[in-house]
Amino acid sequence: MMIPNRSEYLKSLAQSGQKIMGVLPALYPRELLWAFDIHTAEIWDPPGEILHANAHLQTTICPIVKRSLEFILKEPEIINAGYLFPHTCDSLQNLGTQVKDLIGVNVPVYTFYNPKGSFNNTTTKYYREILQNFQTTLETVYEPLNPEKLLSACVLGHKIDSRLMAIQQARMTNHLSLDNSAYFELMRAQEYLLPLDYLNLLGKIDILEQAIEPARARLMVSGILPPSPEVLKFLDELGVSVVADDLLAVSRRIPKFPMDAPLLPLDYLTDRFFILPPCSTRAGDLEERLHHIDKLMQASQAQGILFDIVKFCEPELFDHRLLVKTLRERNIPVLTLETELQAYLSGQDKTRIEAFTELLFDMVSA
Amino acid sequence: MSLRAELKYKIIKDYGAPALMAFQDLKKRKPRPIPEAFGPPLESNKRLKEILSRHYFLARYVPGVKKVAWVTSGAPVELLRAFDFYTIYPENHSALVGARKQGADYCSIAEGSGYSQDLCSYARIDLGHLLSGKTPAGKLPKPDLLFCSNNICQTVLYWYKAIAHELNIPLIHFDAPFVATEQTEADINYMAQQLQDMIPILERVSQRVFYVDVFERILKSSQETSQTWGAILNAMEAQPAPMTIFDAFGHLAPIVSLRGLPVAQDYYNILREEVDTRVAQGIGAISDERYRLIWDNIAIWYKVRFLATFFAERKMNFVTATYTNAWAETTGYLDVTKPWTSMAKTYGRIILNNNLKHRLDLMKKMIKTYSVDGMVMHSTRSCKPYSVGQFDLRKAITADLNLPAVILDADIADERVWSEQQIHTRLEAFCETLEGSKHG
Amino acid sequence: MVDLYFAGVDVGSLSTDVVIIDGGSNVLSEVVIPTGVNGSEAAENAFNSALGLAKLTRESIVAVTATGYGRASVAFATGKTTEISCHGVGAHHLFPKTGTVIDIGGQDSKVIQVDSQGRMLDFTMNDKCAAGTGRFLEVMATRLELDLDELSSPLNISGESAPISSTCTVFAESEVISLLAKHTPREHIVHGLQRSIVNRIWSMVASIGIEGEVTLTGGVANNQGLVKLLEEKLGLPLNIPENPQTVGALGAAQIACRKY
Ligand SMILES: Nc1ncnc2c1ncn2[C@@H]1O[C@H](COP(=O)(O)OP(=O)(O)OP(=O)(O)O)[C@@H](O)[C@H]1O
Ligand code: SF4
Ligand code: SF4
Ligand SMILES: [Mg+2]
Repeated sequence: MMIPNRSEYLKSLAQSGQKIMGVLPALYPRELLWAFDIHTAEIWDPPGEILHANAHLQTTICPIVKRSLEFILKEPEIINAGYLFPHTCDSLQNLGTQVKDLIGVNVPVYTFYNPKGSFNNTTTKYYREILQNFQTTLETVYEPLNPEKLLSACVLGHKIDSRLMAIQQARMTNHLSLDNSAYFELMRAQEYLLPLDYLNLLGKIDILEQAIEPARARLMVSGILPPSPEVLKFLDELGVSVVADDLLAVSRRIPKFPMDAPLLPLDYLTDRFFILPPCSTRAGDLEERLHHIDKLMQASQAQGILFDIVKFCEPELFDHRLLVKTLRERNIPVLTLETELQAYLSGQDKTRIEAFTELLFDMVSA
Repeated sequence: MSLRAELKYKIIKDYGAPALMAFQDLKKRKPRPIPEAFGPPLESNKRLKEILSRHYFLARYVPGVKKVAWVTSGAPVELLRAFDFYTIYPENHSALVGARKQGADYCSIAEGSGYSQDLCSYARIDLGHLLSGKTPAGKLPKPDLLFCSNNICQTVLYWYKAIAHELNIPLIHFDAPFVATEQTEADINYMAQQLQDMIPILERVSQRVFYVDVFERILKSSQETSQTWGAILNAMEAQPAPMTIFDAFGHLAPIVSLRGLPVAQDYYNILREEVDTRVAQGIGAISDERYRLIWDNIAIWYKVRFLATFFAERKMNFVTATYTNAWAETTGYLDVTKPWTSMAKTYGRIILNNNLKHRLDLMKKMIKTYSVDGMVMHSTRSCKPYSVGQFDLRKAITADLNLPAVILDADIADERVWSEQQIHTRLEAFCETLEGSKHG
Repeated sequence: MVDLYFAGVDVGSLSTDVVIIDGGSNVLSEVVIPTGVNGSEAAENAFNSALGLAKLTRESIVAVTATGYGRASVAFATGKTTEISCHGVGAHHLFPKTGTVIDIGGQDSKVIQVDSQGRMLDFTMNDKCAAGTGRFLEVMATRLELDLDELSSPLNISGESAPISSTCTVFAESEVISLLAKHTPREHIVHGLQRSIVNRIWSMVASIGIEGEVTLTGGVANNQGLVKLLEEKLGLPLNIPENPQTVGALGAAQIACRKY
């Protein structure tokens, strides 16, 4: 599997004249931007040292926000069409206005509100209006939207969704021969590849006819981003396979169940938003989230769950307590790691992970 | 509801509580001596204490008489009042716990049960209270309903969801879209519609019918009270200012938690008269006011007295704050003839739900109006919406207005996040700059 | 099986501990030395002295399990297991009714839940910050110009304790400095520090719950003042092994034996 390097890929796209918008986490109507020929390059955890961002943010702000700001402050040339700040949490909400109104950047800054809480007709109606307004905003900057283009963008998005669902299903049922590192590298490629390139990449992934031998232990992960490559590699070495996920960057952005092919784009996008899996950042019902995790654990026969929590992430930390409590009551092994998105695996975390797998292996053999 | 419970509540309300208050007055030992640096204390303090103790005291007799709702500080409580809920403000309660320097105790209870230390301490204290039943306020009645709005933060939504789950009771959430540039028609209609959608639920929980005229009366009273509160704050434009912002942190409680009720309006009428008289007579809150300061962010509850004394001794008075202003700023939008959309404007545009350009402009305006010489910003670990962006706000304000400023890293109610030495050094340095800038 | 010998080597962040047992789980020797900068060298040295004490040759040891923070660096080990499992097994061996193990070491503290066989059911570990570990006490001991024994002597259990509210080592250190500046008696400060560690440990215990008897392991179990406070806070008597620092190595030796 050959996945192009993120920054080289984006650099060459920008050089070829492609419009690129930097998008912060997490939920946004990507198809609408594609219809304006804007490529969406997501900004989650740009690597490198955090220096300048510390002059703008307190020490108790999550590393996603800090790393994003560090990236933005460098005014990277690849981001030529502006930044989009979807409304995800209090920290990103403020970062958006801080960048736009106080720090200032040389490209436009857009925002997109995602409704919060439990949803009903009032919410649905409003979400559709937000989409409409966002479209109008983009039309004032670019040319009027071509409806054909929006429809084909939705069709493309729909194809990607369907293929991702099939791949996830295959992973849960041992029909995919990718190790943890390769699997999540594939999932994360959607953050920066052009939709068509990504669809082609997904098309090349083999879904096996015959199930393979399951790993020694099977794990589900939950959190914002997939565990770091170091953690994934370590799990590979220990013989533990991550078979399902409840990650904001991965499966919480794929509809819970297959959708019909799009006919009316804005209706399709509205429907899609409301059938995304329950997510801490939308602050939906806790029971529903528990139920969803349960279902994934059963379908994937995961024996335990790893919460990889971004330090200082309020949305995740609040839900975490109840999820852990309930899972523990059901005797499901739970491990929580706290990540600052650092590029190494500390001795302490190594011990945690190893001890946790000792516990899982014991359980499997008992 | 039972007739007996109701009767008991009435008796306590009309006779029991006043008697108790009188008794507590008798019991009270000598009041703490007032340091020289301060002017004469406000007479209204006594009345304020009465109102608040009575509110918490009465709360014990409420179950079985009135439905109880726990409400966030920015929620459109007027709607609940139309159904006669007895309202409790957990944020207010957490601040009380913090002021008693018991925040860490309650926080550790929540932390022991699995809540991270990195979460807002108001939430941790409240959840600690909920899990242990402990409170310095005697006893809080369990809620029948939870009512929250993310117009102050998304945190309250998680926090209230956790309570709803723990107690298995309904939660009404008022989704307030963040004002990134300005409120759109869609935002306003969405909020207005949500409010109307709530009526059947509230009718069911309260077992009462919604009457528009009752609601309008409450709305009107709430608006009047907020305006009176605004007038009281405006009185601090006078030099010397008739009260300090640390007083105002205390006098804020009724506007936050009792607005829409006659008791709040009555109270602020009294307070307003007192500050106006003080202004007329030239009585200041501190005996020699040489420097005037603005406070940004929520109070550091466990250090209010320390800070008040520290500054008063240096002839410095806080005359305005973004925090106290929040309950006066947007009530002008309230309009009884358009209750739903006007509430959407009032509650959607409050400072913490508004962009930082708005905040910057507002602060600059306050600095001018109140003749401010320096700024103290509390960067609070608990509160992302209030704190993220402060570094750049400070930069913009000091640059544009040439105003000395200092940032204090602390927390609203968890006293473990306080480094005495560090803060002392910063404050001293700030005072030196301030003294230098005014006379230099 | 009596002629077969097994060793457990626990290369901790501060101490390296070796225990040699025979096939009947009898302890033949135990050694504790400082880890220093080179974990594999410390392991080598400690192992040699343990062999010397037990009067055994290297060849007679049929299996060695390495554990602890430096477990991967023990060249002569035949297997490795985390210290979390090892403390569980070791504590269970010493006190068979143990359901909960609290290990307070130099760099980490852990709370481990074990079943009636000594198998780990669940665990939790302190976060990155050193508050709540032996290291925290050592930093403060330096500040207070006390040695570790003075810091732990039961004489220091006076009723009064200075308030140390910070949960972070760096903050707590500055609090200690200001307390010293205010001439607060050192015993009160020590008491306050112990209390702050105990609070930290308590919230870890609370998060996974107490089952069965509680056994305290790791070097900090030598701190008598802290033990007393922890017992008070938990409202339970604690099992204290004779040599709390070697419990991990003991567990490792037993795992070596079991796996053999
Ligand atoms: N006699 C003593 N009195 C008081 N404290 C002691 C004594 N001996 C050791 N300690 C404490 O025990 C700590 C070391 O414990 P231990 O040897 O269990 O740690 P470790 O296993 O090296 O560390 P870790 O498990 O975190 O890697 C020291 O920090 C010290 O504070
Ligand atoms: S990690 Fe959490 S706090 Fe940080 S940006 Fe994402 S949702 Fe917000
Ligand atoms: S302090 Fe901030 S985060 Fe906490 S409840 Fe208040 S507004 Fe929300
Ligand atoms: Mg150890």
